[in-house]
Amino acid sequence: MSRNGVLLQVEGVSKSFGALAALTDVSLTVSAGEVVSVIGPNGAGKSTLFNVITGLHGPTRGRVLFDGQVITGRAPEAVNRLGLAKTFQITNVFPGISVYENVRVAAQSRTPEAGRFTSLWRRPDVDTTVMELLVAFGLGGRRDETAQNLSHGEQRYLEICLALATNPTLLLLDEPTAGMTPGETKDATALIRRMALARGLTLLLIEHDMSVVMGISDRVAVLHFGQKIAEGPPEAIRNNPAVIEAYLGGADD
Amino acid sequence: MSSPLSLRAALVFAALALLPLTPWMSKYYLLLAFDALLFGAVAMSLDLLIGYTGLVSFGHAAFFGLGAYSAAVLLERGVTSLWLSLGLAVVIVGLYGLLVSYFATTRRGIYFALLTLIFAEVVYTVFRYTQAFGGSDGIQGLPPPSLAPGVLIDTPARNYYLVVVYLFLAYLVCRTLVSSHFGRVLAAIRENEDRARFLGYDVQRYKMGVCMISAGLTGLAGALYPGRAAYATPDLMHWSISGEFLIMVMIGGLGTLVGPIIGGAFFILLQEKVSSYVQWYSIVVGLVLVFIVLFVPKGLLGFRGALLQGLRRGTP
Amino acid sequence: MNFAHGELYMFGAYAGIAAIGLTGSFWLALLAAPLAVGILGAVTEVATLRPLYRREPLYGLILTFGLAMVFREAVRQIWGGDMRRILPPVEGSTPLLGMTYPNYRLFLLVFASALLLGIWLFFTRTRAGIIVRAAVQDAEMLDGLGVNVPRVFTLTFAGSAALAAIAGLLLAPIFTVYPQMGVEMILLAFIVVILGGMGSMGGSVVAAFVIGIAQSLLTLWMNPQRVAIAIFGIMIVVLIVRPRGFFGREGVLE
Repeated sequence: MSRNGVLLQVEGVSKSFGALAALTDVSLTVSAGEVVSVIGPNGAGKSTLFNVITGLHGPTRGRVLFDGQVITGRAPEAVNRLGLAKTFQITNVFPGISVYENVRVAAQSRTPEAGRFTSLWRRPDVDTTVMELLVAFGLGGRRDETAQNLSHGEQRYLEICLALATNPTLLLLDEPTAGMTPGETKDATALIRRMALARGLTLLLIEHDMSVVMGISDRVAVLHFGQKIAEGPPEAIRNNPAVIEAYLGGADD
Repeated sequence: MSSPLSLRAALVFAALALLPLTPWMSKYYLLLAFDALLFGAVAMSLDLLIGYTGLVSFGHAAFFGLGAYSAAVLLERGVTSLWLSLGLAVVIVGLYGLLVSYFATTRRGIYFALLTLIFAEVVYTVFRYTQAFGGSDGIQGLPPPSLAPGVLIDTPARNYYLVVVYLFLAYLVCRTLVSSHFGRVLAAIRENEDRARFLGYDVQRYKMGVCMISAGLTGLAGALYPGRAAYATPDLMHWSISGEFLIMVMIGGLGTLVGPIIGGAFFILLQEKVSSYVQWYSIVVGLVLVFIVLFVPKGLLGFRGALLQGLRRGTP
Repeated sequence: MNFAHGELYMFGAYAGIAAIGLTGSFWLALLAAPLAVGILGAVTEVATLRPLYRREPLYGLILTFGLAMVFREAVRQIWGGDMRRILPPVEGSTPLLGMTYPNYRLFLLVFASALLLGIWLFFTRTRAGIIVRAAVQDAEMLDGLGVNVPRVFTLTFAGSAALAAIAGLLLAPIFTVYPQMGVEMILLAFIVVILGGMGSMGGSVVAAFVIGIAQSLLTLWMNPQRVAIAIFGIMIVVLIVRPRGFFGREGVLE
């Protein structure tokens, strides 16, 4: 269904909230297997872009295609079912239940019972999937801990486990290393990279940490005040005058 | 734990079944026990909604009352088959539940609660002011229902056994539900509804589902009431009854299923003792609610559970 | 969220009755009642609601439901359950547009408009109003800026209680006073908010007009209970056709 291996197409997306133009005519293409990062100063519209892609908001103009299908304005649950998963900038897990139960409910959304009458009494066994993910992210020993008691870094990992448990083809990561120490960031980056390769995942990242961006990305897109001002390989972006201007010209890091 | 019925629960139900055989169970106490278990069952089904899914309903009395009126309307016309009463109750409450849940689940928090309340108020108003349903007097002087031709549920003991069986079945349903795929999604919705959506769950459908199940169980309980009371009145649908159901759940402990049953029994007994102070009644009830929320939010059972957990963590 | 808000409205009317009984003046009552209810609101907030801010919202809901029960019954015990009357302070009527219009209603029109304007100005133009809006959006940030956030919440609660009380007293000469008036008003207010769209003050005003006119017209043909059901029916229809309400904004569905 995808043409030339293109997985995600964002075409001329604009999004306004009343008088505030959060996004203006943003276009982006992500091909299967790529790792693309979206960067830009605060308020550039990066999270809004993610929200439009995943269906939280409908764009004011433009459209989004996933795997050749138009997904513009479809509900988040429908978008996720097509194979697009997202992690959140501010940790958004299920706080009152255990780590294991967190990932279990994510994994079981892909079992045949989901959305059917049989779900009223069946208890699908997703243990292998869940433990595989937990162990891969070092949370195996914490499986019975209540999610809200996890450390910040562990919760960020849990975030990713939740998204991965839904078996996506495209994973959107909204500042996955936010709030992590430099050591944790390095580990997380390596882990995410390994994961992506192992599962043949395509990644679209929002990141502030340049070491992550430079180290992991195939391509980088830069947003500023809701518009895409540059796109290209990491090295080209690093030396792009417009990008440097955007970061240094008054807007904070 | 492949069966939803633990040994402890089985023992409790066995004890309940044997209760009428004890020497001090007069008719009066049997009727009291009936009320305790019936309302306890309603509280349990409300707990599915509040404790497990995090949705507060202020309109459950309408489900109960509609079930009661369904049975009453049939009994009034000489159709005494209990099965038909239950069947009609399921249909009527099911339709109403579908309507309410469809609209209520589009909102969250207090707005969900207010929508359930508005719908219930409308139902109450309709039945209170419509002469066809007996107006404020309701439908009185009903004959006892029958299980089968010639087998009448006409004594307190028989009513009691009926409610024990109902409670048992309702408990099995709730237990199975809560540990199933569906039940886990409910917990996720309670913990973080938005996240559940991003994991691919059509959250509104799940909320509607649990609403209708809770409503259905409550309606069935309501259908059993006219057999015991020989009447159905609009007072059964009043919002204060919804409030009482809420208290039962809070007393017993949110999210425990068994807690609300005990809470219901506790409340009915409390009501019996305090009924001489009928004037002050609402104030007592309201204050109890406030007290529980502030100081014992986990209720009787929840408190015990938290205590046990604390002990377990303490040991190395 | 406060389920007992209707009862604060009710208290305004009853406090008004008490104040008029003491002083014989409606206008003094109009000052005293909101003050009294505002204080009651502040005390209630500090004693019962403040501890709940950290918890899930459903506890606040259940608690205020309990409070509502206590308030309602307390009023019934003190003043009895019968309908009470408050005489309008402004008597007589004025010929207007071919009909005679009661002066009190004209007064209400002017006063209510002024009040609405005042509220809108408060929230958009005064520093205090902006602080309140900020507290609702991001209390932590405000706390970090050195604002005493708990006090803001308490004062806001007291303020809204006082406003409800004013409304209760002002409307008492028209609607009469009885213990159930709070519940009925809160349900009506809720319907107005749903119709107007959440998050839109202008929408609420429009919706209130629509509902008010609908009520008046329908009362000509139906008895009060049917009118209530009809209003409810209107809400359902609007919810089906336009779930967001007249002016509801995207994403403010909750």
